[in-house]
Amino acid sequence: MTTSARRPLSRVVLVLSAVIIGLVFIALPLAASEYVVYVMVLAFLFAALTASYDLLLGYTGQLSFAQGAFYGVGAYTSALLTLRTGMPFWVALPVTGVFVFLLAAGVGYPALKLRGAYFAVTTFFFAHFVYLVFLNSVTLTGGPLGLGGIRPPEAIHLPGVGTVSFASLRAYYYLVGVFFFAVILFLHFLVRSRLGRLFVSIREDEVLAESIGVNTAACKVLSFSISAALAGLAGGLFAHFFRLLHPSTFAWMTSEMVVIMTLVGGTGTLFGPVLGAGIVTFILELMRFAPELRFIVWAVALIAVLVFEPRGLAGIAARLFRRPA
Amino acid sequence: MLENIAFQVVNGLIMGAIYALMALGLNLIWSITDVPEFSQGGIYVIAAYGGYFVTVSARLPSFVGLFAAMATGAVLAFSFEKLLYRRMRGMTLNLLLTAIALFFLLANVAIWLWTPKAKFLPPYVAGEVGFLGLQIGRQRLLVLVLSALLFLLVNLFVWRTKLGKAIRAASQDRETAQLMGINIDTVNSVVFGLGGALSGTAAALISPLYAVYPAMGDLPLLKALVVVILGGLGSVNGVLVAGSILGVVESLGAAFISSAYQHGFAFFILILVLLLRPRGLFGRM
Repeated sequence: MTTSARRPLSRVVLVLSAVIIGLVFIALPLAASEYVVYVMVLAFLFAALTASYDLLLGYTGQLSFAQGAFYGVGAYTSALLTLRTGMPFWVALPVTGVFVFLLAAGVGYPALKLRGAYFAVTTFFFAHFVYLVFLNSVTLTGGPLGLGGIRPPEAIHLPGVGTVSFASLRAYYYLVGVFFFAVILFLHFLVRSRLGRLFVSIREDEVLAESIGVNTAACKVLSFSISAALAGLAGGLFAHFFRLLHPSTFAWMTSEMVVIMTLVGGTGTLFGPVLGAGIVTFILELMRFAPELRFIVWAVALIAVLVFEPRGLAGIAARLFRRPA
Repeated sequence: MLENIAFQVVNGLIMGAIYALMALGLNLIWSITDVPEFSQGGIYVIAAYGGYFVTVSARLPSFVGLFAAMATGAVLAFSFEKLLYRRMRGMTLNLLLTAIALFFLLANVAIWLWTPKAKFLPPYVAGEVGFLGLQIGRQRLLVLVLSALLFLLVNLFVWRTKLGKAIRAASQDRETAQLMGINIDTVNSVVFGLGGALSGTAAALISPLYAVYPAMGDLPLLKALVVVILGGLGSVNGVLVAGSILGVVESLGAAFISSAYQHGFAFFILILVLLLRPRGLFGRM
């Protein structure tokens, strides 16, 4: 590995790419079809899921299969809060975030005493248990019939723009997009903070970290809960976008998909998992013409990536852009 | 009441035997080769279809179907190890991901080729037997007897044969075993083949009791994972005990607490045992 070959991005390039990304983000719904915008909303939600999951897997080194479950808990919590208590969406969403954070802390505290594969299998089961609750608490969640009648977020008045109604697809696109960028920025600064470095110390060597005085138990629970709370927020946004929740949306497949998207993109990079989520979402959408084949093609492609480029897409990108010195 | 409890216990033991068969393969593979073999869930499905086509479509006797399922499982697991896992030795995350991808792949191949519709096949042996006042289907009894027999055979193989000794050596210390002249590739192939065959057997034995369909592997895989962790990685007896406990608790829980949460009880047992005894009931560290 040569570090000298990798020049630091100059400030100009950074600002320029941010401006380009911003312009594309703003212009896309004006130029693209409804369908593309719809897929973009899903991609943003999944990217927020994978990026927040990367905090746990990529930066703290804990493999969990429960991200899809927290996504589901967030979706149902936010939907039920608005439906049953009449709470406005803008209040229900933060409440949902706090709720999922506390739930994850409650589950994570005992579960994170376990290490490695033991922890992973426990989260696998937690996710399945959550799915059973969605499916069987018929009076609360509607069970297999699903939970319908969820309202879109209330219109808000923005100075200079006017009243924005989030009932339209394009307005929702901007809402989810802003959420996504906020999550990325938050995580970007979090992983570079003191706390983020403590997380990385656990990933690198948990025993060593503990011996030099890092409170590894608290750090792991915190990382798990932050990552879950962000997933819960994404779930809340999904609920008021799709407006119909069904337990199968949050079955174990969803959690596996998050893990796979993150790993395909390359862990511990934030950028990789986002790329992974985007690419996987679009590939699956592109293959809608052959629904029975899409998971087959997808699984074969995934195995091929794993055999030929184990570092994921970030590894392929590094190979393309990093010239040997 | 008492009869109902006894009935549920027997039913639980039968389900537990199926979990344990699959968990035995998983445990051997995981503890010896370090591969978290999630693809056994998919192998289970394909093997069940193999058994179905041999007995129903080709109209061959049931035991031929059983061997077909066994062989299907063994060949699949053997080739996955040879073609894929071998290239990623030591990369736990990639191994896990590949295994999950294979599970996806096999379950979806089953949907694509044979539709999600359930297929039914006749029991190997029809009728019931009376036992201490309980009526137990002969097929269920067969599951118990065959599983017990297989456990015995695997135990004999691991403890009484030269290859079994090599496997035990490899599971203790792979590098030292290699230095002693043990061919680690052979050990891996044998262990994977054995694991696949056990999953295939479990699938073939259970399919006459329920049905054959593409999602049939999801729950047994989950339960087998729990059994492995509960029993302790690397413990054959642990699998037997944990499988029985899980099966009986589920069966009693479904009958007397809530049938909707039948598959959720495993979660609580898992959390409880891991908090009290993180290495599982019989696990070595």
